[in-house]
Amino acid sequence: MTKPNYKTLFLSFFKIGLFTIGGGYAMLPLIQREVVEKQKWMDEETFLDGIAAAQTCPGPIAVNLSVYVGFHIAGWTGMVLAVLGSILPSFLIILLVAMSFSNWSQIKIVQNAFNGLRPAVVALIAVPVIQIAKKSRIKWTGYWLPLAAIILIVFFNVSPIYLIIFTILFSWIQYLYETENPDREGN
Amino acid sequence: MIWQLFITFFRIGLFSIGGGYPMLSMIYQEIAVKNQWLSPQEVADMIAISQMTPGPIAINVATFIGYRQAGFWGAFFTTLGVILPSIMLMLLISLFYIRLRSKAWFYAIMTGLRPLVIGLIIAAAWFTAKSAFVGIFGVIVFAVCFILSLKFKTNPILLMLLAAVAGIIAGQI
Repeated sequence: MTKPNYKTLFLSFFKIGLFTIGGGYAMLPLIQREVVEKQKWMDEETFLDGIAAAQTCPGPIAVNLSVYVGFHIAGWTGMVLAVLGSILPSFLIILLVAMSFSNWSQIKIVQNAFNGLRPAVVALIAVPVIQIAKKSRIKWTGYWLPLAAIILIVFFNVSPIYLIIFTILFSWIQYLYETENPDREGN
Repeated sequence: MIWQLFITFFRIGLFSIGGGYPMLSMIYQEIAVKNQWLSPQEVADMIAISQMTPGPIAINVATFIGYRQAGFWGAFFTTLGVILPSIMLMLLISLFYIRLRSKAWFYAIMTGLRPLVIGLIIAAAWFTAKSAFVGIFGVIVFAVCFILSLKFKTNPILLMLLAAVAGIIAGQI
């Protein structure tokens, strides 16, 4: 594995942050190409472990992966540079958008455009639901949890924080129960 | 004010599981319901802007809200708040991940959280739909985009452009 210099490390992640539109998942293949294939800072297996860990960890996945890669190849400084590089482009661009927002958000044509954009956003949020549901192979009996979550969040304003803590505890207790009663079917 | 912004986004970062979309339901609650920093419609607009600009949605939303509420330092501290949990937990997890993933209890918790992620995303879609589905036009745009994205895997940017043009044309009629 080659040793990175700090400037290249920062610029690589800056470039990745700048050219990935549409959320964190879009950044993963780009980070892999840059870090594993082009710069050869890390072998593929170590990188894939990083992706798995980044998906497990709370927070934006691209930031998680930057922490992992940066720290792995160049310690604390590497971590800071990789994270800064990957978030600076969005930070600066959104800063510009926010500064000028009141200037253009009142224009009629922009408001009309947003009337079209909002329902498109609903579609973009809804589509991954179907993909995740298929991938995680939830049994029909498993749907009580998402259903209860939707009702509690939407109608009762229950914070997802409580639901997450509840689910972690519930899964853990269920696991303990199943391991202590191995002859039972479980679930 | 800045402390409130920082701590809110720290909490959002800490409890955002499964990436950007599940996190949106918490953003709606914390930003539009609890603190009322933006209206639900403005949050929807912000998500639309995030889809069209580079970077993770969480960073985009944090920067935007921070700036709107408290200028540059607001944006600085919201962004810092949302990434700090990532940095701390990711360093921990990457140290122990190889050992953690072979543990059955860890696997059980991770599998247990998956159905919840589905619920969180649908709640986020619901909040957005409330400000998006004004009249039949919104429902049509949603249906068309949904089918294009699911069946034809149309590029999200192209989808957003088409939707914006549809909105402009509908506004002229």
